[in-house]
Amino acid sequence: MRWVVRLLCQVPLPHRFLGLASLSFLRLRNVCVDFPIYQGSSRSLKRALLATSTHGNLARDALDRINVRALSDVSVDIVSGDRVGLIGLNGAGKTTLLKVLAGVYEPSQGRFISSGNVSSLLDIQVGLNPDATGRENIVLRGMYMGIHPQEMRTRVDGVAEFTELGHYIDMPVRTYSAGMMIRLAFSISTCIPPDILIMDEWLTAGDAQFLDKAQRRVEEFVRGSSILVLASHSTQLVEQWCNRAILLHQGRLMTIGPIKEVVAAYQSLIASPSPEASAPIAAAG
Amino acid sequence: MVADFSNRAESRMNIHKNARTTPYSRLLMAHRVAAGERALTLCVSEQTVRKWVRRWRAGDSRRRLCGGPPLRSHSLTEGPLPDPRNNFGKTRASPAAYGWCTTTIDCRDLMDAGTVSDTGTGLIVELPETPTRAGLAITDLVEGVRKSWLWTTLAQQDVKLRYRGSILGPFWQTLTTAVMIGGMGCIYSKLFNNDLHDYLPMLSIGLIFWTFIASMVTEGCGTFTSVQGIIQQVRLPFSLHAYRLVYRNLLTLAHNFVIIPIVLLLFPHPIVWARLIELIPALLLISVIGVWVSILLGMVSARFRDVPPIVASIVQVVFFMTPVMWPVQALGPDAWWVQLNPFFVAIDVLRGPLLGQPTAQYSWTILAIITAVGCVGSFAFFARFRSRIAFWV
Repeated sequence: MRWVVRLLCQVPLPHRFLGLASLSFLRLRNVCVDFPIYQGSSRSLKRALLATSTHGNLARDALDRINVRALSDVSVDIVSGDRVGLIGLNGAGKTTLLKVLAGVYEPSQGRFISSGNVSSLLDIQVGLNPDATGRENIVLRGMYMGIHPQEMRTRVDGVAEFTELGHYIDMPVRTYSAGMMIRLAFSISTCIPPDILIMDEWLTAGDAQFLDKAQRRVEEFVRGSSILVLASHSTQLVEQWCNRAILLHQGRLMTIGPIKEVVAAYQSLIASPSPEASAPIAAAG
Repeated sequence: MVADFSNRAESRMNIHKNARTTPYSRLLMAHRVAAGERALTLCVSEQTVRKWVRRWRAGDSRRRLCGGPPLRSHSLTEGPLPDPRNNFGKTRASPAAYGWCTTTIDCRDLMDAGTVSDTGTGLIVELPETPTRAGLAITDLVEGVRKSWLWTTLAQQDVKLRYRGSILGPFWQTLTTAVMIGGMGCIYSKLFNNDLHDYLPMLSIGLIFWTFIASMVTEGCGTFTSVQGIIQQVRLPFSLHAYRLVYRNLLTLAHNFVIIPIVLLLFPHPIVWARLIELIPALLLISVIGVWVSILLGMVSARFRDVPPIVASIVQVVFFMTPVMWPVQALGPDAWWVQLNPFFVAIDVLRGPLLGQPTAQYSWTILAIITAVGCVGSFAFFARFRSRIAFWV
């Protein structure tokens, strides 16, 4: 199969028509993400209006917004076949980076380009209706992933089987335990092999048997040239699942490389007496 | 990057000594990249560098590097090239040394900008140009329309869930409206000394359309804040939430609409069937207005949390100022100013055809103007602040 693709690539452009451009990648260049902090006052319309109409101290006071820089100058390339672990202490910017990769946050500076359909497991609750049964929720959550209900209905049985929830699949989701929710959410998100799978650390809460099964499924489609990005502060899990790792610290990219090296860097970061955990604050107008 | 500009090109541009991208500094920027510097620390964004390097490579340096018309007295491209390693013999200090806000740009990436290659398959994918804000906003609106199956399903679900477990379901809404119309009709026809036969159809049709329009406006304040959980977790076009809101209100209107034929049967009016066609463009225009209103109000209220209560109280006051409960004729000769009320205009184009009465003279014109002006204004606002919505909610 490889040589066919390569041959086709010699001719300019045909892979576009043939839909062979299956290369998925994530590319970040100098990405910064600033969170504006609107504390009561600056969310207020009155303050903002006064600020535009008066030109004194009040104006400066009213629009004196504070931006917390959650990510600062991050440049990364992730290509097909990469299983990337994001590690870092709490508040290092792991989730923010995941949300940038998932396309939820647009960077305030820098560029983010991606190719491939993304499936993100950021929040376990999204699209789940606690009153509906597991089976109904498979279709519901599928809709938020962009899968048409008709198509999803054909996949319900496959998903239900993978969750191993037995007859619980016909019970309202409200009765589920946290672990069962994880099983359901993971099975739905991976029912159509995505090009890019983005997972936050809550997956770790699943039981060992299911984690094993999940890992096998992920490995299967990463072999088929997909990308996995997994955030976790458990180095053990990252070592098990990933082949590359990124160490984030206070919103900056500290190290990127083979898993062993990055984990070592992370461990030395934990061991060293850390400076005060302070988010870098950039004042902006 | 500071260029000593004292005795170099004078262009038409008003260039002060410390301008961040003078024609000279643009050229210097391009040369430094071409000379193979690995990283630049500059005060400008990567996009800016990318732009000038691209234009320089395209050989259009004379005109476009300098911005606008060609230089009058001296052209940069004709003179000696600046030494990229040197700023007139002076040691170049990084702008970071001055404490300015800088970005470090990876130049290796700039030279082969625009492509990504895969080591495994040898595939080379050309990257699209960075889209403009307006382009992104248009993509958002179009993507939203393409996902129509999603927002129609979600809106239907919203209507069903609101009355989950009740026997009548969404028809509770119909019943509430019917009871309200009956009660108000009996009392107000006496108060205004109107015949119930004339008054009730006017009131019921007016009230049903008022509910439709007013609830689009008040719910419009929560277009984005009410779906905060989805916006922060899944990537979906933002316009989708506005479409969902308008469609949901159209569904509610459809449930309430069943009252109208009943009322018209009980109090028969001469119906001009041909005029009922007017309802289609009227509903279409009002739905378009609903979309821009809910995008605009949704964004403003996500940013300023005072807006929803302000809008709610304005809508409440406007209800009494709009001829819903009272006929326009009651105002006598001073009726012209009701035309300034957009709520009246919207109700007028819907109520006129159903009652077989003429619509007010300028109603259609005003409605078209509101649609056009609103769409343009709302689009500009949406294009400018779309990327901030995820941070505001």
